[in-house]
Amino acid sequence: MRLNTMAWRTLSRNRRRTLITSLSVAFGIFLAVTFTGSGDYSYTSMINTSTVMGLGHVSVAEEGNNARPSLARWLRDADSLRIATSGLPEVSGAYPRIMGQAMFAAGAKSAGGMFMGIDPALETPQHNFFLRSVVDGALFAEAAGRGALIGAEMAEKLNLRPGRKMVITVTDKDGELTSELLRISGVFQTGDHAADSGIVLVPLDRLRQTLGYGPGGVTLLAVYTDDLRRVKKIQADLTEKLSPTGRLEVLTWRETQADLAGLIAVDRLFNNLLQLLVGLVIAAGIMNTMLMSVLERNREFGIMLAVGMSPAQVARLVLVESFWLGCLGLALGIMLTAPWFYYMSRTGIDLSALVGEDYSAGGVLVDPVLKLRLFRESALAILGTVFVLTLAAGVYPAIRAGRVPPARSIKEV
Amino acid sequence: MSEEQIVRLAGVSRVYRQGNVEVRAVDRLDLDIRAGEFSALSGPSGSGKTTILNMIGALDAPSEGAVYLEGRNLAELSRGELSRFRRDRVGFVFQSYNLIPVLTAYENAEFVLALQNVPAMERKTRVMAVLREVGMAAYANRRPDELSGGQQQRVAIARAVVSEPAIVLADEPTANVDSEAAATILDLMEQLNREKGVTFLFSTHDQRVMDRARRLIRLRDGRLEADEGGG
Ligand SMILES: Nc1ncnc2c1ncn2[C@@H]1O[C@H](COP(=O)(O)OP(=O)(O)OP(=O)(O)O)[C@@H](O)[C@H]1O
Ligand SMILES: [Mg+2]
Repeated sequence: MRLNTMAWRTLSRNRRRTLITSLSVAFGIFLAVTFTGSGDYSYTSMINTSTVMGLGHVSVAEEGNNARPSLARWLRDADSLRIATSGLPEVSGAYPRIMGQAMFAAGAKSAGGMFMGIDPALETPQHNFFLRSVVDGALFAEAAGRGALIGAEMAEKLNLRPGRKMVITVTDKDGELTSELLRISGVFQTGDHAADSGIVLVPLDRLRQTLGYGPGGVTLLAVYTDDLRRVKKIQADLTEKLSPTGRLEVLTWRETQADLAGLIAVDRLFNNLLQLLVGLVIAAGIMNTMLMSVLERNREFGIMLAVGMSPAQVARLVLVESFWLGCLGLALGIMLTAPWFYYMSRTGIDLSALVGEDYSAGGVLVDPVLKLRLFRESALAILGTVFVLTLAAGVYPAIRAGRVPPARSIKEV
Repeated sequence: MSEEQIVRLAGVSRVYRQGNVEVRAVDRLDLDIRAGEFSALSGPSGSGKTTILNMIGALDAPSEGAVYLEGRNLAELSRGELSRFRRDRVGFVFQSYNLIPVLTAYENAEFVLALQNVPAMERKTRVMAVLREVGMAAYANRRPDELSGGQQQRVAIARAVVSEPAIVLADEPTANVDSEAAATILDLMEQLNREKGVTFLFSTHDQRVMDRARRLIRLRDGRLEADEGGG
C-alpha cells in the first residue's frame, strides 16, 4: 500500500494543523537544546574551573588521601608516574603537585590557608587557573627558588605585594612544624573568595625540602583531559597501569570534588525532569491533534475497513502520519534551532550585569556569559527522544482508527 | 445462468439494544442469493435493508441465525479472515462519500487491488479497463472533491467490481444523486451484470430503481413481505 503517499496527502490536506503540530515539536527541540546545551556548557566550565584550581579531572595520590588528606601521605616517584600517565591518548596534561594546609605570616599579621607546590617549568595556564589570573608581578621561575604567587585578598590582608617577604609554616612529613621564608613574585585574582583569600602557590622543589620529601615526592599527580566524558576510562586505564607501583588511589573529579559532583547531578536531574515534562506536554498536544484528526476521519477509516483493509493496516497508516509529522518537526526544529545554537555557542549572552562579574556557586566560579554547548550524546538523545515521543503520541490515535466500527461510521455523513 | 448459491441467510435476526428498548431490525429472515442475480432489497425506511447488507458483507453479525457466503458461515471466521474476505469476495457501494478523499479516482479504484498485492502492471491494466467501463477514465486523476456525486458513485462501482468479487452489495447507490445520474448508475450496474456476470444486491426505496431489478425482495419490519421475480 502507498501508506506514505496517503499520510503525506493527509498532512498537506490540513496544512495549518500540520504546521502548528510540527512547530510544537520544533519548539520542544529548541527548549531541549537550550536547556541541555546550557547544562553541557556550564557544567563543563564549572568542572574545568574547579579542576584547574588544583586536583585535576583525575588525580593520583596515595591510598586514603582523599578521605583524610595529610602531608604524611605522599608519592615517592612523581616523574615516572607523570611519564606513564602522559602516555595515555586521552590525557592532555599531568602535573606533580603538593597540596596541603599552612599558616602564612608577614610582619605582625597572619592567615591560614592552602598551599599548592608546583613546578613552574611544567605548569600551563590551560590547566592552572591561577596562572591565568595573575594581576600583579608574575609566577616564580625557579622550582627550587623562594618565590610565591599569592591570592589578592590574602595579599591585601597581609599587606603584601611583589618583592615583599612572608613566612610559611607547615607540618612536615614527620609531624614537625617547620617554616620557610618566601618572597612574593606575583598576585593572582580569580574572583572566587575562597581561592583569593586562601591559596598560595609555591615552588615544588623548595617545598619538597621543607617537608622532607625526596626529590620525586608529591602528594598528588593532577591529570587533565580535553574530553570530560573520558575521565572514567582514564581512571580505569591508570588504575590498571599504575597499580603495580604501590598503594595508590586514582580518583575522578566526581570523587575528589564530591560537592560539585552532587550539585551538578541534582541540577542535571531537575533539568532533565523539566525537559521530560515539557516533552510530555508537547506529546500530549500532538496526541490530541492526532486524535482529533482521526475522529474526523471515522467514515474514511470505516470505508477502508469495509473494503478489506485490516485494522493493523489502518493503524499503521496513522502511525506513518505521526512518523512524518515527527520528521517535519525534527526538520523544522533543526532549522529554527541551528542559528540560535550557532550564535549561543560562539557569542552567548552576557549576564554579568545581572549576576555580577564574580559569581560563584559551591565554591566554583561561574562564567557570567551564558553559552550553549552540546555533546554529541545529548544532541542524539534530544532528537531520539523527540522522535520517539512523537511516534508514541500517535499510538493511541492509531489504535482508535483501527477500531472504528465500519457499519456505524459509514452511516455518519 | 449459474445456479450457484452465493449468499444464504438462515433464520437471521438482528436485535439492537438501546437501554431497555429492543429493536428487531431483522426478524428470523431466510434468504438465498444466487450467482448472477440482479436483485433489489426494498422496503420503507427502517425495514432493515442496511442491516441485512451489512451482515452479508461481514460488517455486522446477526444476533440469531447464520449468514453463509459461498458456503462459509461468517460467524466461524476470525477478524483477520473477515477482513480478507471483504477484500477478496465482497464489493461495497455505499449511499454517498464512498471514496477515500486523499486518493484520486484511479487510486481509489486501485485501492483493493493494492491491498491484494496485485502486481503494479496488472493493476494498471485492470483499473484503466474498469474506469473505461464506468466512463471515468478521463477523470482518473481527479480527487473525489473534484467529482460530482454521480461520478463518485461510478468510481465506487469501479472499485467494487475491479477485484472481481462474488457479490457487490450496494446500499441505496442512487439515493443521493439526481435522476439522470441514477439512471446512468443503474445502466452501468445492469451492463456489468449482463456482460461480466457480476452479482448485484442493492437496496432502494425508489420505485424506478425497483422496476429495474430482476428480483425484488420486499421487506417490512425486518421480515420478508414478498419475493418477486427470483429463480
Ligand atoms: N446502530 C443501531 N442502533 C440501534 N438501532 C439501529 C441501529 N442501526 C439500525 N437500527 C434500527 O434498526 C432498524 C433497521 O435499520 P436499517 O438501517 O437496517 O433500515 P433501512 O431499511 O436501511 O432504513 P433506511 O431506508 O432509512 O436506510 C431501524 O429501526 C433502525 O432504527
Ligand atoms: Mg439504510
